[in-house]
Amino acid sequence: MAPVGSFESLWAAIHAGADSIYFGIEQLNMRARSIANFTIDDLSEITAICLENKVKSYLTLNTILYDHDINLMRRVVDAAKANWIDAIIASDYAVLNYANKIGVEVHISTQANVSNIDTVEFFAAFADVVVLARELSLLQVASISREIKRRNITGPSGKLMKLELFAHGALCMAISGKCYLSLHSDFASANRGACVQNCRRSYIVTDKEQGIEFEVDNEYIMSAKDLCTIDFLDEMIQAGVTVLKIEGRGRSADYVHTTISCYREAIDAYMEGTYHKDKVVAWKDRLSTVFNRGFWDGYYLGRKMGEWSNVYGSKATKKKIYLGKGIKYFQKAAAAEFKLEAFGLQVGDDILITGPKTGVLQTTVKEIRVNDVSCLSASKGDAVSIALEHKIRRSDKLYKFVDS
Amino acid sequence: MVRIIQQRGKCIGCNACVEADAFRWRISRHDGKCTLVHGVEKKGFFGVVVGDEELESSLAAAHNCPVNIIKVQKVS
Repeated sequence: MAPVGSFESLWAAIHAGADSIYFGIEQLNMRARSIANFTIDDLSEITAICLENKVKSYLTLNTILYDHDINLMRRVVDAAKANWIDAIIASDYAVLNYANKIGVEVHISTQANVSNIDTVEFFAAFADVVVLARELSLLQVASISREIKRRNITGPSGKLMKLELFAHGALCMAISGKCYLSLHSDFASANRGACVQNCRRSYIVTDKEQGIEFEVDNEYIMSAKDLCTIDFLDEMIQAGVTVLKIEGRGRSADYVHTTISCYREAIDAYMEGTYHKDKVVAWKDRLSTVFNRGFWDGYYLGRKMGEWSNVYGSKATKKKIYLGKGIKYFQKAAAAEFKLEAFGLQVGDDILITGPKTGVLQTTVKEIRVNDVSCLSASKGDAVSIALEHKIRRSDKLYKFVDS
Repeated sequence: MVRIIQQRGKCIGCNACVEADAFRWRISRHDGKCTLVHGVEKKGFFGVVVGDEELESSLAAAHNCPVNIIKVQKVS
């Protein structure tokens, strides 16, 4: 299941082979602070794209709700029903209650921190799928999965309850989302999707008697590394998890493309029986090229308490720099024309093209033509043509990958 | 006089401005966002000019806003 925060990410997720996507609209989702949030009006377009590409769509509605939010919540659930959204991901009981009344399927959000089988049994009255707490170990997950079968716990559809688990992406220093740090410092409640991410910063400890300041060296002590489970994906699947969810609605489309394609390949490899440690190394290399705070295996393997990041922001081994925008695509010649606005381009450069209709395209430049003359490099200001098999559009942006 | 401006579209409906100044701010039960009382819309921004007596409470509302969409200006 892929995180989608923009149309670029949506197409990137579809092209990379996601089975389902999740996204938020308006302000009642955990990424309310994100600049580009979808609105109710975008719902029909999103579901049209998802239906056409046979990808399931899930709508997050998982903040804490107050009395004044109830009308909007109902309108969002109504709109989800009208637009054939597959399910709503929720944690507040008001949403469960209303969605059940009007017959919209619900998945229990990780915000509900489901950590034991009896809670799964309780939620079975409302939902077929439960996203388990990220703080469980895989042994605990496996035990919950076994008990579902033994007790024959079925959801409203009559089928056995399904378990969903976060497989990749940012982790919270608190129990998934139950954090008040941001509210205390900036009045910005993480539980309303407005987290300012204080935990990602570095801190100084001051000696009150003498005023001596100690910088907490080396570690961003509250900034957990990113979860990555690709090296024990076999154990994740064997524990009884049926949906693997990728975190990152606030991240870019190329992050979505890279993580989804790696996990897609890994899942397919497991199913074919070719999942092997050598492949894991290659996948991890690819995953580390996009935004990450360093990787660890979360709490699933139960070995060691929190691993903390030693950088502010990303540890990605590659960064992208903006070059220019799309002009035209020549179908017959299979060439795309771009206007280079910021930097030059060379043959052999790894490039990235993103756009709301194109999604994410990554390729290596094999031939450059400027004014219909083949050349090895083009500079800022040039209009260049690049051999490309996929169509590009005027709304597309061209980037180049460089080592960071 | 004091001018209060709100970029309403970006409101996340957290109620923090109402807690600071319940006289000038009302949360809408229609869309869950906050409404600037007597605010007049211009391209998505709502504005109102009020007396100096509201300066302190308006600044508190602006300070409380987690998404920084409230601006308070002194006008003559």
